[in-house]
Amino acid sequence: MSDQNDIKRDDPMLAAEFSLGLLEGEELLTARGKLATDPAFAARKEWWDNWFAPWTDEIVGAKPSDAVWQQIQARLDAATADGGSAGGAEVIELQSKLRRWQWTAGITSAAAAVALAFLAFPSGTPGTQPGPLPTATMAAADPLMATVPIGDTGLRLDVTYLPDSERMMVAAIGLTADGVHDHELWLVPADGSALQSLGVVAPGEVRTVTLPADITRNMGDGVELVLTREPIGGKPEGVDAGPVVAQGAFSQV
Amino acid sequence: MAAGPTPASAEAREALKLAMARLADGDRSALEDIYRATRVKLFGICLRILGDRKEAEDALQDVYVNLWQKADRYDPTRASPISWLATFARNRAIDRLRTGKVRGGAVPVEEASPLPDEAPLADALLVDAEQTAQIHTCLKGLDENAQEHIRAAFFDGKTYAQLAESADVPLGTMKSWIRRGLQKLRACLEASE
Repeated sequence: MSDQNDIKRDDPMLAAEFSLGLLEGEELLTARGKLATDPAFAARKEWWDNWFAPWTDEIVGAKPSDAVWQQIQARLDAATADGGSAGGAEVIELQSKLRRWQWTAGITSAAAAVALAFLAFPSGTPGTQPGPLPTATMAAADPLMATVPIGDTGLRLDVTYLPDSERMMVAAIGLTADGVHDHELWLVPADGSALQSLGVVAPGEVRTVTLPADITRNMGDGVELVLTREPIGGKPEGVDAGPVVAQGAFSQV
Repeated sequence: MAAGPTPASAEAREALKLAMARLADGDRSALEDIYRATRVKLFGICLRILGDRKEAEDALQDVYVNLWQKADRYDPTRASPISWLATFARNRAIDRLRTGKVRGGAVPVEEASPLPDEAPLADALLVDAEQTAQIHTCLKGLDENAQEHIRAAFFDGKTYAQLAESADVPLGTMKSWIRRGLQKLRACLEASE
């Protein structure tokens, strides 16, 4: 039996399905994309959320172990340390992190290595050996890399994000424009919130952008990226994003 | 109404509202107050959806770290703090379920229950008695199939495909049951507003 057509699957219906958590795969991405670009849809999702929320009162409460709060505090402390201004000791840490990134990028991807030209290394950076392994508190500041393979073409996007400078490099070497479409890269926040545009991909180029805070706070190990096919110039205002043509995820270097 | 909030819970809700405002101002001590007041409820939600203590604790950590990072996202004019936090926690747990980090899925209620020596309900904030009554009334107006599966989606975090499989019906049938139910539910809830 196929889907029955007697029930109209309008936006309020999609919002209800989204709110309940019934959606998966591309439908879920579509809903999250709408959340970002369609205020009426976002309001309807919130309307359902508010109606369903009282149901959580039926769920029996439970006490988490004391370790949870300690771990939360440790993660907050680590984030605060990363956000601090670079003093003398931190500059040294930063140098070793950059070296380590350079080393990893060099063996992982020639395209990403090209992007190294955009980095201004501190003068007097000694040697080419990788730096010491980062400590746990440094982990949040390590570079993130993602490869997004394009279908069966063997081509791919290389995306690198440097938390220290909040800069992202997108290398689309070998890709050519078809003159009809552009491709737009999106961040899929891990908390289930709306997709965030990372901009239109420039075929055959390596582009570097500085990301705003509302995007950088969603950056992290395992965070997914999707590439959609759009009209030239990227997704127009007020319409849904185009089909997802490729996906990838960041992993910490 | 008889089931209305007691003065004590009204006080707790007010305290939570103030703590959320402090959090939005970047006051880190507010996070601890919020954690103390809401962890039992939010952990219960994560545990119900994920069915695994370790996974639920990881999800709970993410909830509060995220809350700290995005405290400005909560708008007190649009939802009560506990309603918003409960939704936030449930979404986070479902997200974890969908990203494939957890294979097992939700467990039956009895397994997800707290340890006997815990008495968590005493400090679990409730969302809203009046709204609860309304959605229950509206839900009762739906076909039994719709009632059962809409609730299973909410409490177990199941997708259409999983619901169809466990009910042993075609996917199209499940979608049709649930969508018809949601359409009716929407009409009933809108009429009550």
